[in-house]
Amino acid sequence: MREITLSQAVNEALAEEMRRDPTVFIIGEDVAEAGTPFKVLSGLVEEFGTHRVVDTPIAEPGFTGIAVGAAMTGTRPVVDLMFGDFLFLIMDQLCNQAAKTHYMSGGKLNVPLVLRTNLGATRRSAAQHSQSLHALVAHIPGLKVALPSSAYEAKGLMKTAIRDNNPVVIFEDKLMYQEKAPVPEGEFLIPFGVANVLREGHDITLIGTSSMVQVCAKAADILAKDGISAEVIDPRTIVPLDEAALVKSAKKTSRVIVVDEGHQSFGVTSEIASRINEKAFYHLDAPALRMGAMDVPVPFSPALEDITVPTPEGVAEAARKLVRGEMIHAA
Amino acid sequence: MPLDVIMPALGMAQDTGLIVAWHKHPGEAVAVGDVLFEVETDKATMEVEAQGDGFLTGVAAEAGQEVPVGQVIAQISDSAEAPAPAPAPDAKPDAKPDAIPEGDTIIMPTLGMAQDSGLLVRWLKAPGDAVQADDPLFEVETDKSTVEVAAGQDGFLAATLADEGEDVPVGQIIAIISAEKPANPVTRSAAQGSVAPKVVEKPSQAPPRASVAKPEHPAPIAPGGRILASPKARRLALEQGLDLARLVAAGHAQPFHASDIDTLRAMPVASAQTTAAAPARRLTAEIAQDGFAAFADWAAQEAGISDSDALLAGLAAASLGQGDATINVQAFERDRLFVGDGTQATAQQVPEGQPDLVLRDLRFTAITALCLGPEDQPVLTLTRSGTGYAVTFECAADQMSAPRAIAVLSAFAGRMQQPLRHLL
Repeated sequence: MREITLSQAVNEALAEEMRRDPTVFIIGEDVAEAGTPFKVLSGLVEEFGTHRVVDTPIAEPGFTGIAVGAAMTGTRPVVDLMFGDFLFLIMDQLCNQAAKTHYMSGGKLNVPLVLRTNLGATRRSAAQHSQSLHALVAHIPGLKVALPSSAYEAKGLMKTAIRDNNPVVIFEDKLMYQEKAPVPEGEFLIPFGVANVLREGHDITLIGTSSMVQVCAKAADILAKDGISAEVIDPRTIVPLDEAALVKSAKKTSRVIVVDEGHQSFGVTSEIASRINEKAFYHLDAPALRMGAMDVPVPFSPALEDITVPTPEGVAEAARKLVRGEMIHAA
Repeated sequence: MPLDVIMPALGMAQDTGLIVAWHKHPGEAVAVGDVLFEVETDKATMEVEAQGDGFLTGVAAEAGQEVPVGQVIAQISDSAEAPAPAPAPDAKPDAKPDAIPEGDTIIMPTLGMAQDSGLLVRWLKAPGDAVQADDPLFEVETDKSTVEVAAGQDGFLAATLADEGEDVPVGQIIAIISAEKPANPVTRSAAQGSVAPKVVEKPSQAPPRASVAKPEHPAPIAPGGRILASPKARRLALEQGLDLARLVAAGHAQPFHASDIDTLRAMPVASAQTTAAAPARRLTAEIAQDGFAAFADWAAQEAGISDSDALLAGLAAASLGQGDATINVQAFERDRLFVGDGTQATAQQVPEGQPDLVLRDLRFTAITALCLGPEDQPVLTLTRSGTGYAVTFECAADQMSAPRAIAVLSAFAGRMQQPLRHLL
């Protein structure tokens, strides 16, 4: 099978959907000629013109608000938010308007909007361009949240997002744009709310999101050398969340580590670990463990930045402790 | 009956309103809906309308004056001749002997987040007493606790403006502390009307010291009283009737995990000791009516299930209440294994497996009572008794706890008596 980068996969998904559906358009900063700072959208303005690949001034609340209105009136905008950190600028448009319009209109209006943005640290971009804020959005009822973990996932989830009649926020990991993965030619969709079991195992379940799926997979490789069989699961979307699949795996292996790049406190790891503790309690041989990013602003210093996020070695070490039955948090 | 005109609450967190202008003069006739006056809050200026017909009388606040919300600022009366005007909010204290002395005011403090009044339990100082800033001045009871409130400043208690036992709105002045020893200390009740501050209001700054508050501590957990084990290990131990205390006695390190249950099960010496120490369990149940024969006939005719062993195994599996269970049905010249999931009427025969329970069907023998002692698995034995059956349940003490043995036998006896209930 051919291999393409995550960046190409997103570009392909958008181009295919824009050819299929004339109401799909892209709006954001530097999306046309510049093709975004990460060159994800290169070539789209040449094919679809500036009326469907719309460059805006530096005004995130403005263009997001325009897109929400456009979505309510029959189009399918794909909003390009250059950095996930800029979510704080568009909270009202996204969380008060897009997320609630269907509800507030008694189901008469839909907001089929996709917000494309990114997450991920270790790019030396400092505290205001390195955050992973997906938990913030997942907290708001009415928003779906997809976290592609490879080029293949990015294409399939993006196409599903565009066809969804409700607002979807997709977070791409900015360090993965140039990572290649096998992606089949032609059309395919990945449904929301269906977790992907990348690797089966029976000693421990490693649940990872976005780039942390690769961290979990590498940790599983390390653990395999120690004779520990790890199951690796990617929920793909955290809203909707395939809770049944996660709980089933937890019951099977009786040990779980949840790995996510958002801050550990009040985050995705907390939510998933909590659900597993609730639904699989009597099957757990160890507490479901959270491994998120440190609760600190992401440092600029490379040496410091690298230790704030989970690593394969760190996940493997924690997994060994759980499997050996060591007390993780002394009572 | 005159109608009071009060300063309305126009904002969510408003406690005073500024009267911008009166639109009616004292003595002027007003009708419902007429604009009486304009109020400015921190957000907007609003016109306030008359709520009744009559004449505007007793105007007690002038334009430009800031008035607490809820205070009466005028009346709408039946005649233009004004009755005695309502007391102005900044009315000078009259020159009676108990006029409020000058000094720093002490207010009823806000001790809870949603508290709007406090019960003055008692004064800890008498009027005229000298007080230090951190002397307890009075006790307040809220819905949660009773606390002592300190004076907050040095001086003399010149006036107490609330009686013991009175419920006083938060923020109301309840005492005056003067710098000089008062000649005539004042004692009043709060019901005699709130006092407008004549000096800058200074709430008691000293943090209240809880004195009578009694937070309820949960009963302490006895140290070392609880065995540390994972939820899965506990569940497995319970299901298999194993006692985690044996692992403790054998010196295994806590916390215990699922793998320790394998160790526990494989502890032969301990097992033998336990069997010797704890006697085997033997329970019997009598079932007067033979419900099962009719049920077996019904199942054969209606559902085509002619294997009564499978039906019995199904009932036994359901009685164990643990999901999938393997039942070994033994009868004269028969020895078959079934797996039931506890929800289906019948169990499925399987070629091999480790039985969770042996069901010995002796209904068609002459045996009426038995006591065989514990075997490798718990054993349920069915014997005939009158027009019904007797069910005997035997197991080793470490195979199943006493409450669980009772539950299993009760469930099975109930199902044998009324098998149709099992289907529901």
